Amino acid sequence: MAVVDLQDEVIRKRLLIDGDGAGDDRRINLLVKSFLKWGHGASHEEGYTQYQRMLSTLSQCEFSMGKTLLVYDMNLKEMENYEKIYKDIENSIAAAHEKIAECKKQILQAKRIRKNRQEYDALAKVIQHHPDRHETLKQLEALGKELQHLSHIKENVEDKLELRRKQFHVLLSTIHELQQTLENDEKLSEAEESQETQMETETKP
Amino acid sequence: MAPQEMDVQRALELLHMSVFSQSVSPCGKYLAAGNSYGEIGIFSLSAALSAEAKEESKKPVVCFTAHDGPVYALTSTDRQLLSASDGELKAWNWAEIVKKGCKEAWSRRPPYRSSLEVPEINSLQLNLKDNSLLLAGGDCTVHAMDLETGVFTHALRGHTDYIHCLALRDQFHECLSGSEDGSVRHWDLRTGGQVQAIEVHKYEECSRPQYGKWIRCLATDSDWMVCGGGPALTLWHLRSVTPTTVFPLAPAQHHAMFYQDLILCAGQGPTIYHLQLSGDIRARIPCSPPALHSLCLNQRSPEHKVLTAAGSSHKIDVFTNFGYRAFSLAFA
Repeated sequence: MAVVDLQDEVIRKRLLIDGDGAGDDRRINLLVKSFLKWGHGASHEEGYTQYQRMLSTLSQCEFSMGKTLLVYDMNLKEMENYEKIYKDIENSIAAAHEKIAECKKQILQAKRIRKNRQEYDALAKVIQHHPDRHETLKQLEALGKELQHLSHIKENVEDKLELRRKQFHVLLSTIHELQQTLENDEKLSEAEESQETQMETETKP
Repeated sequence: MAPQEMDVQRALELLHMSVFSQSVSPCGKYLAAGNSYGEIGIFSLSAALSAEAKEESKKPVVCFTAHDGPVYALTSTDRQLLSASDGELKAWNWAEIVKKGCKEAWSRRPPYRSSLEVPEINSLQLNLKDNSLLLAGGDCTVHAMDLETGVFTHALRGHTDYIHCLALRDQFHECLSGSEDGSVRHWDLRTGGQVQAIEVHKYEECSRPQYGKWIRCLATDSDWMVCGGGPALTLWHLRSVTPTTVFPLAPAQHHAMFYQDLILCAGQGPTIYHLQLSGDIRARIPCSPPALHSLCLNQRSPEHKVLTAAGSSHKIDVFTNFGYRAFSLAFA
């Protein structure tokens, strides 16, 4: 059973390998047949030509064997080459993965930085709306000085006013006193006159 | 009901469905989405993103009814999915959620002043530093709940109208809340007091009286805050409380988030905007829902890092490269 399977396999493999493989097999069989014929051969010239022909077929077989050996070597070398390329590609894929991870970290960092900058900008905008502190201080100082100056003037004016009031008071009180004295004098003089007329009327009759 | 009627009913439901909230599982492979019918759908991101994804992988792996009312907020801890709806908070274990017939691990109700009203919980924020959960919603207060004991520790009162959104500043143990009354309030979580209140609509650079004064979206990033809604989307510097950049976007924005050096926001139009802090609109990405309510970025799994956007539609858009829509997951 196993022998039959093996033969099947062999036949299958043989059928698969077309081209030179089948040709070579036929050639070897032909060589063996022609050798046997040559062995049994009669005439000398025919034998010589047959011998030449056999040598040529033999060299053809050797040639094709050499070719297949070279192809086999070439395939092995190609395999090695491909293995190398495959390993290189794998390495570069791993390196690329690492680079991607690095870049992702960098992106996160950059986003954080951008966020901080924007927060700063937002606050700065708000702060810019308010006027400068130096200016406000200066304005405050100037206003304070004005206030002082004005209050100084106000004090002066008030003092003057007080003084004038007092002077007016003095003037008015003196006027009143004078009026009083004048009235008193008038009254006195009137009283004196009435006394005199009284005395005159008393002495006359 | 006959199967055809159920299909018609379901088709109608799908037509009117809105997805309000999304959350990613701790392993990063599943996305939970809560919709207006109280259902939570779990989608498998790893299946949908894989090379052999078919139509079936874009449907929910499992879809169950979690609440009676719409699921307004979802968030995930290490092991549980927390969902919030009208007045109640439920927790579901991620390990069991993918199996059918999942039951909630626990359910809580925050202490409300009056027992008559059942205010909705609009926003959940997880504070990992002290393992607590902040919830805020219709009763105008921010509740803080300790996740280990389930005890409600603080109730931060101050808002005069319901709260839309919460944001956390954990380096400072503070949280911000934006509300319908137009103010963004700053709370100190250790003392439970209000640090400051920013009346956004009073600043004329950003106020848009034609839209109203409600603040729908909030996001913080250390010293900066972005908030929008009725007033235009604005970037604020919190220390000096000044609006630094007003973004020239016409529609009102419903969700904003900081991402690397950009601000991503989405709102009433079918677009996601990529904005730079300087005020430039870097990109306008079209998406399928006509209005967007929620954006979710999957940071938990580097190979499934996608942005998902959901809104007034039963579809959830998935963006692998944030520049264009890759495909859509859909409720079935």
